[in-house]
Amino acid sequence: MNKEEVAAKIKDMLVESLRIPEELLSNDAELFGGEIGLDSVDSLEIISGIDDMFGVNMTGVDKENFRDINSLTNYVMEHAEA
Amino acid sequence: MKKRCVITGLGIICPVGNDLEESWNSIISGKTGLAKVTTFSTEGCYADLGGEVFCDNLPAPEYDRSARLCIKAAEEALHDADLNSEERSQAGVIVGSCIGGAVSIDEYMTAQKEGAENDSRIPNMAASSIANHTAAYLNLNGVTANIVNACAAGTMSIAYACDLIRSGEGDIFLAGGTDPFSSLAFAGFHALHALSEECCSPFNHSHGITLGEGSGILVVEEYEHAVARGAKIYAEVAGYGVNSDAYHITAPDPSGQGQMDVIRRALGSAEIEPSDISYVNAHGTGTPKNDEAEFLSLHTIFDGTDVSISSTKSMTGHCLGAAGAVEAVFTVKAVSENVLPPTIGYTEEDRLALPEKAGNLDFVVNESRNKEIAYAMSNSFAFGGTNASIIFSKDKHETEDGKKDKVYITGYGKIMSDAEQAVDQVAGVTLDMKDFTERGVKLGIFRKLDKFGQLQLVSGIDAFNSAGIQVTEENERRIGTIIGTSAGPVTEVSNFQKNIVDKGCTAGSAFTFPNTVYNAAGGHFSIFTGTKGYCATVANGTQAGLQSVAYACDVLGKGNEDIMLASGTDEGSDMVSYFYSHSKINGCRILGEGSSTVVLETGSSADKRQAHKYAEVAGYALTHSSGTNAYTETDAMEAAVVKALANAGMEAGQIDRIYAVTNNHEQGKNEIGVLEKHFPGKTIVDPREQTGDCRAASANAIIVDAAKAIDASEIGTALTVSYGCGSYTAIVLK
Repeated sequence: MNKEEVAAKIKDMLVESLRIPEELLSNDAELFGGEIGLDSVDSLEIISGIDDMFGVNMTGVDKENFRDINSLTNYVMEHAEA
Repeated sequence: MKKRCVITGLGIICPVGNDLEESWNSIISGKTGLAKVTTFSTEGCYADLGGEVFCDNLPAPEYDRSARLCIKAAEEALHDADLNSEERSQAGVIVGSCIGGAVSIDEYMTAQKEGAENDSRIPNMAASSIANHTAAYLNLNGVTANIVNACAAGTMSIAYACDLIRSGEGDIFLAGGTDPFSSLAFAGFHALHALSEECCSPFNHSHGITLGEGSGILVVEEYEHAVARGAKIYAEVAGYGVNSDAYHITAPDPSGQGQMDVIRRALGSAEIEPSDISYVNAHGTGTPKNDEAEFLSLHTIFDGTDVSISSTKSMTGHCLGAAGAVEAVFTVKAVSENVLPPTIGYTEEDRLALPEKAGNLDFVVNESRNKEIAYAMSNSFAFGGTNASIIFSKDKHETEDGKKDKVYITGYGKIMSDAEQAVDQVAGVTLDMKDFTERGVKLGIFRKLDKFGQLQLVSGIDAFNSAGIQVTEENERRIGTIIGTSAGPVTEVSNFQKNIVDKGCTAGSAFTFPNTVYNAAGGHFSIFTGTKGYCATVANGTQAGLQSVAYACDVLGKGNEDIMLASGTDEGSDMVSYFYSHSKINGCRILGEGSSTVVLETGSSADKRQAHKYAEVAGYALTHSSGTNAYTETDAMEAAVVKALANAGMEAGQIDRIYAVTNNHEQGKNEIGVLEKHFPGKTIVDPREQTGDCRAASANAIIVDAAKAIDASEIGTALTVSYGCGSYTAIVLK
């Protein structure tokens, strides 16, 4: 799976599971601050979604990796088994 | 003097015993009821412990497990109270529940997955059915309600029963709570990482909760009534408080402000000091956030007193909607027998570490102890930010009655579907981002809401705006909310459950789970508006939207609040219409959805801020029929109308117009017959012709419509009446 595909799947998950309007979700939109304003419960849902989709466990991972779709995508690309 | 409310019977079934004697003996001998879960598969889950009830003779297999546990405890409580059949038939049923018919929804979907039909489970799915089924099984015809404020529900039910006794709605109530061990709750707390891998040991290990199940039922009786029949009296309800954190949908306010406020409300209502309390049965769940906030609250209120504290959840697990009731039973036993139940699970090392956290407070460790107890408190803090605290006293406890003020309607908000827009007999309300942003609601809040929560937030904000109310630090604690609903957040619950049925307990959604509790809509509303007064959600069929108005008036009568919002809210969706068409609950009406809210305000508050008064609530009455020939639903409907008129001090001839949301089936004709008999020639208005059947929202909308008609001088007086689950509420406006 290439980077664009991973990012697209993460975006779909954020729209579907966390009810974030698609138009706000550019790949560099800040997820936990600013307009979108996710919280700790949302992060559990993201961890669960990423585990389901890519088999990558992000439990306890530094919060910098949750900043936006780009950082989530990079983490998945680095840790997904080939 | 206030009417006094005493406890004259106890019944319980929980993980440490199937009756009172067995449960209490386990509790005072520090025996755990927690073990590996057997009810469903916990494969893949990081935790697998729970407190389950094993009972071969649970009555009424046709009902949901929540009702069956409740009936078992209620039978014991009735027997213990030694009521004769006449007294029994007048008893009401007020039951708290967090997850309602979750087990029935699980059973239904599991059968469906396996290609089988299980439609008999449909009428058991909503929490509205629990009190109704309990009353029907035991032939009880007093006022019913299901208080669905998650983990505070059991405590609140006892408090509400006392309110109903004081407002003259009955002399005897079975009050308490019930919840089954469910895959819904287990998967939800698992998703939130809130389950403990070990047996929970609150205030000790604080690694998370262990879930339990069960039911606790207390017979709450008016004191003079109890004395007249020579009843045994365990204890008296000395006082109680209910409020809202307005902080977070699942986590407690870490400052403990809401918890401390509710404890002070209970102490104030009992007119006693912290030093009068000998024992606190703490909420004590064992989650890090709860234990930290609760330590802070307990230290702040009780440091310097000789209070003793424990969490019996260490033995029963967290029984959710039953927790407050199960713990109230133990607290009443503690008071009447002068025994302190322990928190178990301390090793020698833990004991040595305790003083660091407990300071000078006496935490009862591992073993029960004897202590003279005059007053004991039980606390419950719930999802949605609802807090409740109740105090039981051993001896006679008299308190002053507050001055009753008039109650006015000073605002309203209403968002309802339009029957003309219906497709396939279903009409919906469309809300988009603009509807929220123009009301000042940010994305971070509204994306958390399910439809039920969205509808409630919109009608509530509109009601505030219509009444010109600004929530400030001065008034935030004096404004509260009562929400009535028939089916609650049924779509979110169904979607959550379907995922678990398909994929197992590891598939719970942390995002959705908080919305599966019925009081989430009220919690979100309280968080958004910052209102920190009384808050309750009542599930009791369609008429819950009108019962909420009567409930709110009772709350105003106690004097802690100046303003109460009373709502009726019910969502529609594919899931709802599927259930409604399959169970034929809806007759042939178009199924609608919506939310309606009225602002109720004391005369002095309305005068002080020069609020516009649409109408005055002149009188109200609640009734229930368990469906026997001796006292039919038609009799109950007639009794509600007659009592509401009497409470308003009015004759039927003085009523100008009737607003009625009646039964969709044949029974509706009998109800219209009652109205035509008492109010010949008067117009009977039913808003469902325009909106579709929005259930609790329709029942609340008639109060709004009547108040507006009175304000416009179309009429001078109106009677509003609604049905649901065998219950009736009638309210007279002038």
